[in-house]
Amino acid sequence: MNDLEQQMAENLVSIFEKVLVAEEKSLQKGYFSNLSLAEMHTLDAIGPYEARTMTETAQILGITVGTLTVSVDRLVKKGFVARRRDEEDRRVVRISLTRDGKLAARMHGKFHKVLAKHILEPYTDEEQELLLSLVKEVDEYLNTQVARYDNDDKIRQTAKDVAKDVRRRKTDDD
Amino acid sequence: MTTDSEVPRERKKDKKDQVYEDLINILTEELGVSPTDVDPTLDIREDLQFDSLQLYSFIITVEEAYDIRISDEQIDQVHTMNDLVDMVCGIIEQ
Repeated sequence: MNDLEQQMAENLVSIFEKVLVAEEKSLQKGYFSNLSLAEMHTLDAIGPYEARTMTETAQILGITVGTLTVSVDRLVKKGFVARRRDEEDRRVVRISLTRDGKLAARMHGKFHKVLAKHILEPYTDEEQELLLSLVKEVDEYLNTQVARYDNDDKIRQTAKDVAKDVRRRKTDDD
Repeated sequence: MTTDSEVPRERKKDKKDQVYEDLINILTEELGVSPTDVDPTLDIREDLQFDSLQLYSFIITVEEAYDIRISDEQIDQVHTMNDLVDMVCGIIEQ
């Protein structure tokens, strides 16, 4: 690995870690400290407006319906998600955000927007466009890498364990 | 006698008045703001000193009341009660 690749690798990992840590900390110190980051992302996946089915939501999050059911159970108990049977097809369960759920999701969305705003702020319009197009290309490349492992739950679990470990190490350092 | 050109303006004014009244009711009932503290030029963030949570709470209630969607970008463009009334009326008419 040459020096440029080494720096790129380190910066990518560092960005990944710091975004996670910043999200966790903003949650812990904010109005919704009783929500974990994973739960917040579940609220995001459900979305603020239309009621979604469990299957749709699980697909968005890239998890099984069984895993989502556990998470939704907790979110229903905490008052962030409402669950009801579809009126036309009683076999289908639809989930939607309660008022508190909508509030939490919008506040969290704001966190992401403020972060992006501050990152872009120092640059000219042209530089911002360039930065965005480069970031999009990185994102597209990573999508192709993720797609390779789409059906491999073991690798997905390993990635989750690594992310969890990174967060734990960050917390220990603080 | 009413001229043709006056009719739409009159209707528009009625709708805006109704929306303005609804918004004051929401502010009063949901967020404990006194109606006497609200006027059309009032700056929602500065004068009411709303933090992000209160602002979103207000916006979500407005969305539910009119069955509309208000994006963050639209919220950023709203400063006064007049702006908010214009925005809500604009979304309803779409």
